[in-house]
Amino acid sequence: MPEHTPTIVVIDDSPAVRVFFEKVASTLQVDLRTYGSAIAALEYLEAAQPSLLFLDIIMPEKDGLTFLQELRRTPLHHETKTVMVSSKDYAQDRATARELGALEFLPKPMTIRALTDLIVKYTAAQPRPPSN
Amino acid sequence: MSSSYLRFWGVRGSYAAPHASHLAVGGNTSCVEVRADNHLLICDGGTGIIPLGEHLVRAAEMPETLVVFTHYHWDHICGLPFFQPAFLPDWKIKFFGPGESAQEIERQLSNQMKAPYFPVETETWMAATSYIEPKPEGITHGPFVVGFHNVHHPGVTYGYRIEIAGKSIVYISDNEIDFLKSSIAQRTEEFSSDEHHLIAKMQLDERAAELAAIRNADILIHDAQYTPQDYAQKRGWGHSCYVDTVNFAIDARVKVLYLFHHDPTYDDTRVLAIHRDCEQLIRERGSSMQCIVAREGMIVEF
Repeated sequence: MPEHTPTIVVIDDSPAVRVFFEKVASTLQVDLRTYGSAIAALEYLEAAQPSLLFLDIIMPEKDGLTFLQELRRTPLHHETKTVMVSSKDYAQDRATARELGALEFLPKPMTIRALTDLIVKYTAAQPRPPSN
Repeated sequence: MSSSYLRFWGVRGSYAAPHASHLAVGGNTSCVEVRADNHLLICDGGTGIIPLGEHLVRAAEMPETLVVFTHYHWDHICGLPFFQPAFLPDWKIKFFGPGESAQEIERQLSNQMKAPYFPVETETWMAATSYIEPKPEGITHGPFVVGFHNVHHPGVTYGYRIEIAGKSIVYISDNEIDFLKSSIAQRTEEFSSDEHHLIAKMQLDERAAELAAIRNADILIHDAQYTPQDYAQKRGWGHSCYVDTVNFAIDARVKVLYLFHHDPTYDDTRVLAIHRDCEQLIRERGSSMQCIVAREGMIVEF
């Protein structure tokens, strides 16, 4: 992979959502890392800043909005580009996400196209060249 | 009376409804007392916590409690400024609710008592108050083991699973069941067949997680705010249609379901009609689950 390959981190407890992202990653030059909970992603996020972070809201152990609030307190993630992806599409949650600096709020169900467009928009990821 | 019981002090959703036509069910907003072995746990501080506080002071016993909040919408916290034990020096009160830290929980609860919203601030409380630092594994209070999980309602909102005396009591005051299902139905034409396949799996994942939180509960106290007709107008308000609540509880093999968070515009007759319809649904599904209308003052031994 090229040196500037964007890293995409996805935190969502739904295995099907993670498959959605794998389909997107199969068409883009990105390094995709998926986690089933905020706690599971913590070790990676304590050490690295992804190019773009996708966060679900309703998850076991810790919800995505509370987790983003915690991340924002750390210098490493003060400005980490973040997109919320959730079925919990309420005005109050959208407002909280905005206050926490989330760039977008994508309601579930989402399309592969919408996820692809967001990754390209915020990371300038290039299409993956067709394999022979 | 058994030493283990729960008592409903407030069963109404959204706002208090102290109308004569509503009082067989009750007009106070969310508050449930859970007692076991002389220990006290209180779920939510709606207006129902005001008469509970008066009762506790009159009883002059056991001056210690944990109060857990599902969230900080007014109907769940507005009784707290009038909770008499907080103003008494011999009381110890612990608080817990959504928030990234104990400090945030304290801030969320105390803000409603700041000027110009209330004449005195929490600094006037004489009880020994403390706020519990959130831990993913949950919290304990005496014999109570209390787990929490996120539910579908505007803002971060918890449901609680309380393990006590060999029983599981689940308290989910506000929760909109099947929101994703109806989102999919509304947008079905946008998706390819490949996406439809994944979305169906995504829906199953979400349903499985929701069911796991309440599975095999001995007692489920759950939002059943709307009729199907009203839910059609109020989808996205964060509350459930009672049909979805009943099906959700049956699917999770709940033993007894308490219909809770009654709509403040529904009088006693309307709530009774909802209950009759729920019983019909349960019969049609061949389930043995009991379904009961949570009423103010009702005591349930367990």
